[in-house]
Amino acid sequence: MRSIGVWTTAALVLGMAPGTAHAQQFSLGNVPMQVHGFVSQGFAKSNENNFLTMKTRDGSGALTDGGANLSAQFTPKFRAGAQVYLRNVGDLGNGRFELDWGYADYRFTEWIGVRGGKVKTSLGLYNDVQDIDFLHTWALLPQSLYPVDLRGSTIGHIGADVYGIVSLRRAGELSYTAFVGKRPEDPEGGYAYGLSTFNRYDSYAGKQQGADLHWSTPLEGFLVGGSFLNQQIVGTGRRVSNGAPHREESKKDQTMQFYGQYARKGFKADVETRRYIRQQSLVFLNRMINSDTHGWYVSAAQRLNKYLEVGGYVSRYVHNSRLDHSLPNNHIYDNVLTTRVDLSRYFVVKVEGHFMDGYGAQDSIRGFYSQNNTGGLKPKTKMLVLRTGFNF
Amino acid sequence: MRPIGGLMMVLGLAVGATVHAAVTDVKVIANPSVAASSISAAELKDVFLAVRTSVKGTAVEPVLGRNGPAHEAFLKEYLGKSDVALTTYFRSLVFTGKASMPKALDSDADVAAYVAKTKGAIGYVSSSAAAPGTKTLEVK
Repeated sequence: MRSIGVWTTAALVLGMAPGTAHAQQFSLGNVPMQVHGFVSQGFAKSNENNFLTMKTRDGSGALTDGGANLSAQFTPKFRAGAQVYLRNVGDLGNGRFELDWGYADYRFTEWIGVRGGKVKTSLGLYNDVQDIDFLHTWALLPQSLYPVDLRGSTIGHIGADVYGIVSLRRAGELSYTAFVGKRPEDPEGGYAYGLSTFNRYDSYAGKQQGADLHWSTPLEGFLVGGSFLNQQIVGTGRRVSNGAPHREESKKDQTMQFYGQYARKGFKADVETRRYIRQQSLVFLNRMINSDTHGWYVSAAQRLNKYLEVGGYVSRYVHNSRLDHSLPNNHIYDNVLTTRVDLSRYFVVKVEGHFMDGYGAQDSIRGFYSQNNTGGLKPKTKMLVLRTGFNF
Repeated sequence: MRPIGGLMMVLGLAVGATVHAAVTDVKVIANPSVAASSISAAELKDVFLAVRTSVKGTAVEPVLGRNGPAHEAFLKEYLGKSDVALTTYFRSLVFTGKASMPKALDSDADVAAYVAKTKGAIGYVSSSAAAPGTKTLEVK
């Protein structure tokens, strides 16, 4: 039944793009409006271990998402719009419609503007566009930094941003974003799913503050940057074992991410690293959860012509940097090769192979879940992912 | 050796002729409502990457070509992006709500006609293309 919502969105998106599949542009009075949309469908097959709550050992097509947006440019400096999104990834998402973003944006000058509403969060190179499959070479972004199952913890905030680009003349330019807001609820996300053997959450959200700064250097195609996210999360619910009230509060919840990119003449190389420090107080249990996770990846891709792009990445995730990194339950390493075929400007197909080592601990809540690996987790996983998408 | 040398010379001339034929001068045109008669390369890049929405106090609208030598030359010389990279750039803005997709037209004639009739429009065509009703902006 959950797939009905996904395919309804697909029909809605495709129905808005008859024939030529160009963006739908129209005017309401003197206000230019645009409509855009996308749908993607994937298939994953692994030799061991089910991944991302999908039944990949048997082969799974439960990798579907889509969205549609409407925007209006009221004046050259003032615009507003909204995008709805839904996904079904294994047991996550369940085709639930959500407001992906919806905000008003006023740009005073090139170097300062403000946005308010539900806004995608700038964190690293790809956090705010991680859902938009056709923008990426990869069928799955490096899960060490962009976990599909934990998307809800960083993807957006309800609040306000200040942003801008400052020219440094011959020294390039600086782009910045700073924001304050609230992390939205994510009841169909990986965190709630992963902890569902322990707690049933009524709420898991809280305040967020963050910033991103990157420098487009004078060397054409080369940029470097850093992002920071600080959260004060409160989770409430009941314990599964005995129905007792459960409450947890952040004492420290910080994400620091650094990145570099070189993109020129069809070649693109990315490197990113993230550190996530979390001290979470389990109030009624009088316990503290401490974690210090590290993730990084290096990727390279080459566009061979307008139809074909090839590439690969090495992704490394360590759950607890203070413990032995080689333990299978303390890391997830992934080596990936990808071929992307652009059949047209609007239709893309990807074939991707994953060679994974490790599965992370249960409380890492990432990638491999005991709930759908009831026979136990194996140390290595190979997986083939096929993904296709349409956008306009 | 002489036949090989002659063959190499012919090949070199052919390659040179091909390269020369592929280089197309491009001119930046604007609607007469645009107050400026010149624009810096940095301003031009900002306009076509949706960073800047006005030039010398005039609200401006960038107009892209969709293909062709003028489009390739403009992207390479002023934006430093390929067509695929530019499309990806704008789609990342559109699908996060930060910008609208700019107008893109198929031919120099279409670009010139749109720029001529649209207040604030700035586009580009081959330097030899006719663009009645527009003015040429000097890029500094």
